[in-house]
Amino acid sequence: MNLLEMSVTVYASLTRHLVRSLLATLGIVLGIAAVVAMLAIGEGGRQEALRQIESQGIDNIILRSVKPAEGNAQQTTRSYTQRYGITQRDVEHIESVFENVRLIVPVMEVRREIYLGQTSTDIKAVATTPAFLEVSRCRLVDSRSRFLVPTDGKILDPVCVVGTKAARRLFGHRDPLGQAVVIGNVSFRVVGLVENPGGGRIGGQFELNNLVCMPLETATSLWGGITIQMRRGMAEKVDYDFLYLAAKNIDAIPGTAGRLRTYLRGAHAQVDYEVQVPYELLQSARRTQRIFTVVMTSIAAISLLVGGIGIMNIMLANIFERTREIGVRRALGARKRDILWQFLAESVLLTSIGGGLGAGLGIATAAAAEMISRLGGEAGLKAVVTSESLIVALAVSVITGISFGTHPAWKAAQLDPLTALRHE
Amino acid sequence: MTQPSPHAPPPTAPLIELTGLEKTYEAGGTLIYALRATDLIVRHGAFLTVMGPSGSGKSTLLNLFGLLMRPTAGTYLLEGRAVSGLNDDATSAVRCKMIGMVFQSFNLLSHLTILENVCVPMQYAGLPRAAMRQRGKALLDRFGLDGRYGSRPTQLSGGQCQRVAIARALANDPPVILADEPTGNLDEQTGLEVMGIFQELHRSGKTIIMVTHNPAYRKYATQAVSIHDGRACET
Repeated sequence: MNLLEMSVTVYASLTRHLVRSLLATLGIVLGIAAVVAMLAIGEGGRQEALRQIESQGIDNIILRSVKPAEGNAQQTTRSYTQRYGITQRDVEHIESVFENVRLIVPVMEVRREIYLGQTSTDIKAVATTPAFLEVSRCRLVDSRSRFLVPTDGKILDPVCVVGTKAARRLFGHRDPLGQAVVIGNVSFRVVGLVENPGGGRIGGQFELNNLVCMPLETATSLWGGITIQMRRGMAEKVDYDFLYLAAKNIDAIPGTAGRLRTYLRGAHAQVDYEVQVPYELLQSARRTQRIFTVVMTSIAAISLLVGGIGIMNIMLANIFERTREIGVRRALGARKRDILWQFLAESVLLTSIGGGLGAGLGIATAAAAEMISRLGGEAGLKAVVTSESLIVALAVSVITGISFGTHPAWKAAQLDPLTALRHE
Repeated sequence: MTQPSPHAPPPTAPLIELTGLEKTYEAGGTLIYALRATDLIVRHGAFLTVMGPSGSGKSTLLNLFGLLMRPTAGTYLLEGRAVSGLNDDATSAVRCKMIGMVFQSFNLLSHLTILENVCVPMQYAGLPRAAMRQRGKALLDRFGLDGRYGSRPTQLSGGQCQRVAIARALANDPPVILADEPTGNLDEQTGLEVMGIFQELHRSGKTIIMVTHNPAYRKYATQAVSIHDGRACET
């Protein structure tokens, strides 16, 4: 029997009991739907995590000053000032010893309020150097914009660059370039508008698009080392809140990060720093993804096992019910292998239809989950259906059909023609 | 209505030769003879009726002719070729191309149209779809079922169903038609119509082997075998 005739025969057999055939595929439909939906949500999460990590710069190592627990506070007896975090000494040491670091970019949080009219905002101001544009993966938004340049720091110019989100909040639809931003009680002129396309944050803390950047020298000349007054007369002082180290190449990152941690452990009496390595986070995300894939595969295997057993059950019942038909076909010239292929093709068609319906349901479920998670207006789940996941889903359906259809089909083919003909 | 094929062998040439053909079963340690050693020659163009009481071995003989069971002993030559010891593929090919079967209960596939039913043997013979449908329609037309191609067997009378079954048996133009009590499920008048069809097929050169209970059908036969307790003898 040729393929066309086989298809026609199989189609006729399956449509004979359409509802039963569709019910038989239900296990496969739900199994594949679950797999496709979870893979889509997993892939969305993975892409989002990668975007976040990559937006920090994959060749960067970021040091962040972290306030140690109260009990570990290192107090100077006279001033009750708590000093912690990344120091100028650290910067100098890294500059002189770490040959694989091509750029060191300090970032200091200017602990001063930025006002919108009379209302204080949560927009953060930071002081940094011109190389911040490169290490932060930001880009200038329009051709009239510029970032901070060395001259700004040399002449202590009160200029600043604003992120796109901060600019929208501060100036609405007005052109931000040339406008003034009041930080503390000093007016800064906006010379540039920048954007981080990935919506990244400095050290995972401050949103880059909601920042105002000023020259480090200008901030230091205005406010000295940034010290803020705390409760009960206690103050804290941090040299640098963040330190971006750009490696010469990605291969150098693991070694450099290891040496850096060793140095910091020796140089700091307490753990008042955090080392963030986006490259390591990326590796970790990939490991997590692999675990997720294994878990998903296990769930898929279980659901498809259940679905496959359902298919096998239906096929065995089908064959029992159609024993006489098998006998008639054999009497009319069908070979054992014709019967085997016919029932195997029925099984594969059933699971393929189940796979197709399941893939559709899975896509719809993933889209619905994404929509529901965004109902509150916040950024919620992201679902990404890849063509690979659909191909895998359909391939798995076919394999399930073959795996669970072979035994019933083989049984059908082995029936004695005469016994089958006499079957009531 | 139909003419003998110009390529048909001479009517006297043997089509089937059985030599010492035997079928036994073992039940509870006892050997049961379904068919005792039988010698028989059926020539091309013969109309053979097989008669005998129930359980005498008629169906066993027909099933051996149709290669639906293997003999325990003896040889079965079909057009000079030993066919009883063939493997499954070869046996199926012989059933497909050399033998047409008509059953008492029609054995049409109820989920297929009558045209599709007629096409089933041609599917296994590997005919192209268009040729298959054309021949299927011609066969149905020949038996007065033109215009009913899309009907299901459940929509037809018993006589019509048996005509479809005969058309199906002729699908691959086999030299021999085996019929197992083809009028057993039909009223007398319809039975006679069906016998008329067999008579016409016989006239067109087909070899007919028919199991029947009805002695009145002996008149259609050119050769008759009677079976009692598994012993077959020509009458």
